[in-house]
Amino acid sequence: MKKLFRSGEPFIWLTGGALASSLIIVVGLVTLILTSGLGFFWPANVLRMTLRDGTVVTGFVVERERVPGKTGDYRIKVQVANRDLYGADFQWMDEATIARRDYPKNVVVIERTEWGLLIGTIREVRESGRTVAVGPQQGLAELERRLPDAARARREIRRIEKSEVGAINYAQEKIRLGLQRLALGGVTSGPAVESLRREMAILQTRYQEQEARLADLRGRQTASVVVTADGGKDKDLPLIQLLHIDAPNAMSLPGKGVRYLARVWEFVSDDPRESNTEGGVFPAIFGTVMMVMIMSIMVTPLGVLAAFYLREYAKQGTFVSTVRIAVNNLAGVPSIVFGVFGVGFFIYVLGGSIDRLFFAETLPTPTYGTGGILWASLTLALLTIPVVIVATEEGLAAIPRGTREASLALGATKLETTLRVVLPAVMPSILTGLILAMARAAGEVAPLMLTGVVKLAPALPLDGYWPFIHLDRKFMHLGFHIYDVGFQSPNVDAARPMVFVTTMLLLLIVVLLNLFAIATRNRLRRKYATSAV
Amino acid sequence: MAIRTDTLREISRARTSRRIVLDRWASRLVILGGVIIIASILAILFVIVGEVWPLFRKPTATPAGTYAVPDATLASGPAVGDAVGVDEYREIAFAVTQAGTVSFVSLKGAAVPGPVLLPALNGGKVTVAAVSSKGPLLLGTSDGRVIPLEMKFDVTFTEGGRTIIPNPVFGDVSSFDPEKKRAVRRLALAAPPSGGVIVAQVGPRDLVVQTVVEKKALIGGTRRQEALQALTIEGGQITALALDGRGEDLFVGTSRGQVIQYDIRERDALKPIDAVAVTASAAVPVTALGFLIGDRTLVVGDQAGGVSTWQVIPPPGGGPRRLTRVYQFQGHPKPVIALAASKRDKGFATADGAGDVKVHYGTSGETLITLRADSGKPLHSLVLAPKGDALLVADQTGGLLQWTLDNPHPEVTLRTVFGKIWYEGYSEPAYVWQSTGGTDDFEAKLSLTPLIYGTLKGTFYAMIFAVPMALLAAIYVSEFMHARVKGYVKPVVEIMAALPSVVLGFLAGLWLAPIVERIVPGIFVMPLVMTASILLTLLGWRLLPIAIRGRFKAGTEALVLVPVVIAAAWLAFWLGGLLETVLLGGNYRGWLLSALGLTYDQRNSLVVGIAMGFAVIPIIFTIAEDSLANVPQHLRAGSLALGANRWQTAIRIVLPTASPGIFSAVMIGFGRAVGETMIVLMATGNTPVMDWSIFNGFRALSANIAVELPEAPEGGTLFRVLFLAALLLFGLTFLVNTLAELVRLRLRQKYRYL
Repeated sequence: MKKLFRSGEPFIWLTGGALASSLIIVVGLVTLILTSGLGFFWPANVLRMTLRDGTVVTGFVVERERVPGKTGDYRIKVQVANRDLYGADFQWMDEATIARRDYPKNVVVIERTEWGLLIGTIREVRESGRTVAVGPQQGLAELERRLPDAARARREIRRIEKSEVGAINYAQEKIRLGLQRLALGGVTSGPAVESLRREMAILQTRYQEQEARLADLRGRQTASVVVTADGGKDKDLPLIQLLHIDAPNAMSLPGKGVRYLARVWEFVSDDPRESNTEGGVFPAIFGTVMMVMIMSIMVTPLGVLAAFYLREYAKQGTFVSTVRIAVNNLAGVPSIVFGVFGVGFFIYVLGGSIDRLFFAETLPTPTYGTGGILWASLTLALLTIPVVIVATEEGLAAIPRGTREASLALGATKLETTLRVVLPAVMPSILTGLILAMARAAGEVAPLMLTGVVKLAPALPLDGYWPFIHLDRKFMHLGFHIYDVGFQSPNVDAARPMVFVTTMLLLLIVVLLNLFAIATRNRLRRKYATSAV
Repeated sequence: MAIRTDTLREISRARTSRRIVLDRWASRLVILGGVIIIASILAILFVIVGEVWPLFRKPTATPAGTYAVPDATLASGPAVGDAVGVDEYREIAFAVTQAGTVSFVSLKGAAVPGPVLLPALNGGKVTVAAVSSKGPLLLGTSDGRVIPLEMKFDVTFTEGGRTIIPNPVFGDVSSFDPEKKRAVRRLALAAPPSGGVIVAQVGPRDLVVQTVVEKKALIGGTRRQEALQALTIEGGQITALALDGRGEDLFVGTSRGQVIQYDIRERDALKPIDAVAVTASAAVPVTALGFLIGDRTLVVGDQAGGVSTWQVIPPPGGGPRRLTRVYQFQGHPKPVIALAASKRDKGFATADGAGDVKVHYGTSGETLITLRADSGKPLHSLVLAPKGDALLVADQTGGLLQWTLDNPHPEVTLRTVFGKIWYEGYSEPAYVWQSTGGTDDFEAKLSLTPLIYGTLKGTFYAMIFAVPMALLAAIYVSEFMHARVKGYVKPVVEIMAALPSVVLGFLAGLWLAPIVERIVPGIFVMPLVMTASILLTLLGWRLLPIAIRGRFKAGTEALVLVPVVIAAAWLAFWLGGLLETVLLGGNYRGWLLSALGLTYDQRNSLVVGIAMGFAVIPIIFTIAEDSLANVPQHLRAGSLALGANRWQTAIRIVLPTASPGIFSAVMIGFGRAVGETMIVLMATGNTPVMDWSIFNGFRALSANIAVELPEAPEGGTLFRVLFLAALLLFGLTFLVNTLAELVRLRLRQKYRYL
């Protein structure tokens, strides 16, 4: 035994244990996120439980755990949904109280525009109060016939609300600002003002026309479905609020697979509903991507320029090594400090000045003097610029001296050498740095919370109105979405699967970017390993 | 031919020179660009310092002019007490003269109306004026009556500016002396919604208390019921009066240096409850009493020039509430004759008769500004402008002096930010962070100490978890692991480093915290169980026939251990549950509370330690592994050749050589943990408490910035204090990282010679 300890073998095994634990945690976490996230889209079967006292509870089983204080007893957490009928989405059930479990074929799960899921059986379908189909089978068939129509109407209403009414509002706002600008210039009457006012009046009538159209469309949708939930409660749901209806227990496996893919697509392409706890995350994806792109446009040339200066142009000495240490350290400065800088400098100093110079008519409502995608991107550019500088510098250092000297010896100037010899050779390093910077930026949340991210942005930073890219707008972000839905939402339990899915998406983006960077770097290393010989 | 060569040369030269010019310009451009970029990166520090700087600027006062109250000379100046006031924009000041006029003084050259005579004065004189936090200005007369005066300033905004018209509104006159003989000497009032109280001093020891009860009758609106009661003070003469705005306590200052506290909540049974000596000795009378905004802190000025603040608070050990001294301020050379509280913050000003004026701040206990009024005449009264941006004093003959005050952040000094401060309602000085409150008179408590404490606490627990794990793993990977397996492990660690902290925070807060809550005892036995199982595995491994062992290459132990570690974790949780039932009575939380006096928060430092530790492990691991791998190979070879085994080589040769690199790895990990925001924001309760319990949460500097900065108005005190917090984080991480970097550079130089 003593000999064994003296050989050091136990300690080696202990160090190995530490590594094994770390690896298990990483793999475990990633697996947890993937399974929870991917499972969310699967149309699970609905369980009906008949309790010993005769009550019936229908819903999805979410969790199973030991009853605290009792050994051997388990309880399950059931998502009973029907928040408008029961008040709560979830219910804990002691398994000991359950007498019978089955999966009835006629239970339907309805996604609707408000109040979350609805679980129950179809009693009848109505049209203007008149019953047109009775019972689960007939009802479902009738619904399948009518739903495309209702969906079309809903899309039409949304289109009118969003694009046509939105366009009118946008034009009205422009005119109001125009009037304000004239007033600031001392013009409060005259032909210019008159013509603007006339336009305003025209827009107002157009607005009323659209409103009338909307009222008409809404009025024509009179079909509804009556669903009986547990406890005999009926819910009369207008078809226009019904997004999707499934009878998961009656679905075949391929059918479920199709539905699964449809739900994945819905998640990445739809707008969020019900304070972000349902629907999709398209605006958040869009905001994240756009912010990262703006940041990349900023950070690449600046970082590369700084790296070239440090490595190729500056005289190497104490000053440059000090700067290099400072830049390296900047990478270790907490991201929230960059956010604070973004608030203090970009928003209030730069943004405030821009507002005073160019957007005086909207003051005191700030345009650039408040958080926005531009400031968030700039802040992140600053945060990630050390990454690009360090990567580029490493690449520059790896280029053999002979390569440069050969170019210079052939009579090329330094600029020509830099552009035609050094830059192509260092390109992969720049790319690696950029990808790492993008990965860091995509996952960073704290500075964004201060510089322009919001839980729900009314409009994307890119749209059809001049000048198309609105850098002053606030935006949504996947990382902030996780924080907001997971911690600020009123119904955290119901929102949890959504958070897992968003987490999975963010993780995929970040990990893929990183793997890409690692692969690029490895290829690069191999290339230099051969060229150095 | 020659010509052509020449032309060619000419062309070539021209092209060359253009290339050279281009090259030169490009160089300049790159240098300029590089310097600008680097300078702007470093500008971060300056911007943050620039925002913090105004917090610690010394407050200043600038004389803004001297004025004279019209008619004042005729009637020997303004009345005693708070007889002077000024409007919000500091355009018009007013003074109530002893002759019974309200006179207006234009401070910025605008036209002012002439004096307004008090109604129904009937030949009497105004003897005293008194203000309160809410309610009108009260004027006492020489024939024992009290006239309320509400001074309104009607502001109209027109093109090119604003016009301010003073509009004095007089209330109902009430008589405090039916015989109309005794003059009102001092006055105090409170106007709570339940009914007002006015206390008037009519004799050296005699007070008259008027209480107003408004009763709602069933029919016919409200009925006002006024009642007068006389009150005689024992022990000295009355020298000052103060009444809190809630109408609960009356404080009477006496000529024997005492403050007598009366409980006046029962309006028909006024009773003295305490008498406290507030001056240096009984020979030093109290000369001025007043409340700071919020009516919780009592300011006492005395004959010897002393200024102090007092609060009715329970003593630290518990017991009845008593008037207790909080701060002693810088005193005056002469008796304090007037004091005025700010309507904005906990600031106040005091003046002595000889012309010294001081501005103090109640929260910090500091005297900010000392001024000298050189009018040569004794001062009479003192007022702070409604916005707290100016100070006016009046002398006996109606001379007015104005100073503008530049004092934007009086509540912040180094001591209030880092030290213990005695806040209102606290029984002793404490470190508190509480930046916003529900009411206007809320006292902001901006101590960064609990937040720094929280940051260090979170970092400490994270490091406890991360440092051993990361270093052991790094030693294993660099020294013992098989090269081929290494190629797979490193990308996994890099993925671990890339996990966004918001993901870790979410998992910690919503997934890990409820699990940890169930298995706390298991977590604490886990290191032991883990070690034991690994050692047992090793023993078992050695018992295996060599034929099986031989299939595994040296350096793959970690892979063998993966199932062992998973099994050990299960075993630990099971054992933990067993221990809990057997030793802790089946409920560890109850045991914690009863045996150790600890409470358990679901989102606590343990959860943060695990989650943040997890975020820090890859950083420490990568740098430590790098520095271990950089130890020259011939050192290892030499050691092994001399007969040391691989563990001895790793521990005695490689580790000491790489120790600076490992130090810098730990430092950089520390820097990351200090600044981590999302994990602490999501996995702690964010309560700024100060204790080291692993089962409680905390609030870190970084999370505090993330929570409060979006709500802080630009340029305000909170805004700047949050910038100060950011500066601290910046400074701390920059320092730690620079240290680590320097150590690493030294290390690299050392290897050069090995």
